[in-house]
Amino acid sequence: MASDELKATVQKLSDRSRQAYANPYTSLDFPASVPVGQDWFTSPELISIAGTPDYESLEDVQKRTISFYDAINFFSLNIHGEKALLEGLARRLYDPNLKDLSPYLHHFLDEENKHMVYFGEFCTRYGGKVYRDRKVIFPRDYAAGEEDFLFFARVLIFEEIVDFFNRRMGSDERLNQVARQINQMHHDDESRHLVFGRKVVKELFEKFRTVWSPEILEGVRSAVSAHYSAVWREYYNPDAYGDAGLPDPYGIAERAFSGAEAPRALRQKASKASVDYLIGLGVLEKEPAL
Amino acid sequence: MSDVLLIRETLRSWITERSRKSLPSPLLDDTALIEQGILSSVQVMDVILLIERMRNRPVEVDELKPGSFRDINSIVRTFFQGEA
Repeated sequence: MASDELKATVQKLSDRSRQAYANPYTSLDFPASVPVGQDWFTSPELISIAGTPDYESLEDVQKRTISFYDAINFFSLNIHGEKALLEGLARRLYDPNLKDLSPYLHHFLDEENKHMVYFGEFCTRYGGKVYRDRKVIFPRDYAAGEEDFLFFARVLIFEEIVDFFNRRMGSDERLNQVARQINQMHHDDESRHLVFGRKVVKELFEKFRTVWSPEILEGVRSAVSAHYSAVWREYYNPDAYGDAGLPDPYGIAERAFSGAEAPRALRQKASKASVDYLIGLGVLEKEPAL
Repeated sequence: MSDVLLIRETLRSWITERSRKSLPSPLLDDTALIEQGILSSVQVMDVILLIERMRNRPVEVDELKPGSFRDINSIVRTFFQGEA
């Protein structure tokens, strides 16, 4: 049973979603082609390898080309993240333990599906593909409430990091128009999902933390912390660097994820809002290794 | 050193270096990596990148079978069959 506060949030967000109901097939005009190597598709300072020696030694046209393949990767990550989200949300629709959330889960599902329409259109129309997902999930047993909590905590982490990028790129006038609009539209919907995600994570954690053993709680903390690495690992995609024509794409990805200072600073900045929130709730006791 | 020995040695040292668990030394080729918590789901993503880099071909995650990462023997059998 959800608290009165959460029920009120569900009602308020459902009302707003009804007002913002959109048709993804008419909301965006996709030109036949986009000028790769000429326009920016990712804000220059948000490019995955920006600030690394691998990046700084490149010509301007190569930097703009990477900005395109990084955008394809970012949108592909969104598609894979939202596919997992749809599966998890659909499984929880009308779950007796979460039944008060169901009215909003309908909107959540609807909106996430629509996001995938425009992410998918951009990736396939201009990149000819959606980059593959390398995530592997091993099945395991869960304590009461643990699976639901981890599901919503992972959603929160993923969506808050994505929104960090959407907010900046949605208003970045340097960006190619269609790339900018996709970021802006995604941010507009996600702002509601973020409110929902925070409330649900807070409520589930407060409900179950007292019934979980110290070992379970430790495992939950460790899984939440590890999820940051999983999300960020895929931000550095050798397939994208290879498509951009860079030599040693695996080495570039490895150096950006494991060693270089500028990408680490970006990871910390983009993760800060969710890390602070989770530390404030007591879900995390310290900042995850980024 | 033959290709397959080199592959096994690379995997062994990579896993030993990255695992958060204290491992038996040397790590055996039939040590259960997932079951014993030596590799987490997140680290498997890194192993996939390592495998792709070593064999210069992508790994299609959708086509993986349960047990592909069970131990070093399974990894070699699954991803380096031509070399083994």
